Amino acid sequence: MNANLMGIPALARHASRRVAVRRRAGFAILALVAVFALAGPFAIGIDPARQTLADTLMPPGAAHWLGTDLFGRSVLARLAHAARLSLGLACVAALSAAVPGVLLGVLANWRGGRVERALVMLADAVLSVPGLLLVLLFAALAPGRYWALYIGLSLSLWVEYFRVARVASRPVLAGDAVQASRLLGFGAAYILRRHLVPALAPVLGTLLAFSTAQAVLALAALGFIGVGLQSPTPELGLMMIEFLPHYEEAPWLIAAPVSLLMLLVLGMMLLVAEEDAP
Amino acid sequence: MTSPFLLAVEHLGVHVGARPLLRDVSFRLRAGEALTLLGESGAGKSLLAQAVMGNLPAPLRAEGRIALAGTESRAADTRARRPHWGRTLALLPQEPALALDPLMRIAPQLSETHEFVRGAAFEAAQAAALCDLETTGLASSARRYPWQLSGGMAQRAAAMVARAGGARVLLADEPTKGLDRHWRDHAVAMLQDVQGSGGCVVVITHDLRVAQALGGQLIVLRAGEVVEQGDTHAVLANPQHAFTRRLVATDPAHWPRRQAAAPGAPVLSARGLSKGFGGKPLFEDLDLQICAGDRFVVQGPSGTGKSTLGNVLLGLLPADRGVVHRAEGLGSTACQKLYQDPVASFAPRVSLARSLKDVAVRHRCPWPQVLQQLQKLGLAPDMLQRRPSQVSGGELQRIALARILAAKPALVFADEPTSRLDPVSQQEAMSVLLDALDERGAALILVTHDEDIAQAVGTSRWRLTQDGGRPDVP
Repeated sequence: MNANLMGIPALARHASRRVAVRRRAGFAILALVAVFALAGPFAIGIDPARQTLADTLMPPGAAHWLGTDLFGRSVLARLAHAARLSLGLACVAALSAAVPGVLLGVLANWRGGRVERALVMLADAVLSVPGLLLVLLFAALAPGRYWALYIGLSLSLWVEYFRVARVASRPVLAGDAVQASRLLGFGAAYILRRHLVPALAPVLGTLLAFSTAQAVLALAALGFIGVGLQSPTPELGLMMIEFLPHYEEAPWLIAAPVSLLMLLVLGMMLLVAEEDAP
Repeated sequence: MTSPFLLAVEHLGVHVGARPLLRDVSFRLRAGEALTLLGESGAGKSLLAQAVMGNLPAPLRAEGRIALAGTESRAADTRARRPHWGRTLALLPQEPALALDPLMRIAPQLSETHEFVRGAAFEAAQAAALCDLETTGLASSARRYPWQLSGGMAQRAAAMVARAGGARVLLADEPTKGLDRHWRDHAVAMLQDVQGSGGCVVVITHDLRVAQALGGQLIVLRAGEVVEQGDTHAVLANPQHAFTRRLVATDPAHWPRRQAAAPGAPVLSARGLSKGFGGKPLFEDLDLQICAGDRFVVQGPSGTGKSTLGNVLLGLLPADRGVVHRAEGLGSTACQKLYQDPVASFAPRVSLARSLKDVAVRHRCPWPQVLQQLQKLGLAPDMLQRRPSQVSGGELQRIALARILAAKPALVFADEPTSRLDPVSQQEAMSVLLDALDERGAALILVTHDEDIAQAVGTSRWRLTQDGGRPDVP
């Protein structure tokens, strides 16, 4: 009966209209930030590292829309480059955590037994170290290097994908639909394509947005405490710590990277908005 | 103002937007009377119960008037009947096992209802709960959780909780769905007990035997409209409307007995087969042989390993001891299975056309031949654009049949393939299955709890027993 009721379009619309508005808002915010990150550096056309010591701490104006920092560098140009760096690195790290994480999760379920126990043990071992600490460890190996941050982030993020994929694929693999497909003579590739991928896609989409947001925040946190990327690379956390001493005389400076960070995370949270509990 | 009627419903209707889902239903019940609602799935029977309760989902609107124990209210006024919930008016929902709180033991759930709904003191409520459990034979399960109960026990427990508040009007939504004969009789006795103690019952069912046992009034619904209404025995003995006649004719008790085909070569044989779960043996030392054209029916109470036997024969589960031998030359896909819940047996997010095409390609079965098969099963090809959850259970079971026929099976294991369907779809699905198997000369293993279906269909019947002993052949 309930299945029949949900087939009535009015009911389905009723359930999802608010969510659709939120998703659209999230998508719009992310699109804006992405355009700013991709096209911003070219459109602004100012080298983010060019210092003009005569124009330090200028307020927002026609030449520099967001003003200049202590070394007279354009804050807008630095912000655009920082956005590109954060978004790019976070997306790549999340994606390269997702692929092995999901495959290992499915493998654990598929093979069961020792393979599953070993993988779960490994995941638990990684989980026992706080994620940021793991990134910090790698960052300390090669201070200021992109690859160290990237590997650290991916290594701390894959566990979530592994755990979610393992739990979400269990009912699918144990279900009648997969049993029927096996009886009909289909192999592993078919079951992955027709059963597992469609079942896992929605939950993985949500997870991808969350872990990208997590990676953006981790990068900023590392920059802020000075163990991530090093100056003069424009990076959100670095910019915050550079601007912090001037918050009284030039409050617009610290506001810029903080707002961008907030927009990025807000956009991703809205994108994966879920129905409120009734 | 005292009315002689306990429950009176006048011109009840349910709409979503401008679309009517249920139209103009009226009935009156005195104390001690019963009303049975019959009809296909999707005819609006459950909607009627929800409208009477006043818990329709938000976009649905009810119209008409409902008088409950002398208090009259508009059907649309959902708050008016809420104070009566549990006290005057109770609903026994479908799948009673899901209506119980899974995190609470049975006795506290029951005494809670006595205490808070009926208003008994704490000690008195506990005593009443224990007394209830005693009389329904659940005393030993008082400290168990709902998931530790069998289907029949959960059904009795849910019924007790529904009645504990002292409600005199009980609405029961398919109280016998999926129960075997023994538990069905139990459920009917429970409903008769409500009648006998000065209450009235409204029962939604597919099962004519339940209607006959309860007597009273009968309403036959089709697509939201009343097609026939009157005294149960009179209507069932002499149905006026064509649809009612069809409902009566499709009752398994009226199915013609199917001729046995001449047995062919052996397809599958088993020797010394044993299987148990958690130390409890389900069956031991089974020897059996299934030949082409055989219709091998497995019966028995729930939990005796009927499905397990089929799964072991198909190689889906390993046997504890013994061997299953397939005839020479049978491929790995020669044994196929039809599931109790067809929706669960299809990839949920893939269109039916895609699923069928994949199977046709895998088994080198030309697509036009699949379409022809679908037509033979009475299915329109445009239905295939939908997803599994968007077609009815009867249609989907026939599509599942077309899917396994594309694999050219020599043996089909059908695990309660029609127990979730209404009688009309049930008979259609069963007869197309049997016709298709006869045409191919394939064998059938059928698991069913319905004695009448077993009698009409089986060429050989096995009964598994509760104590894990050997099956006897009737």
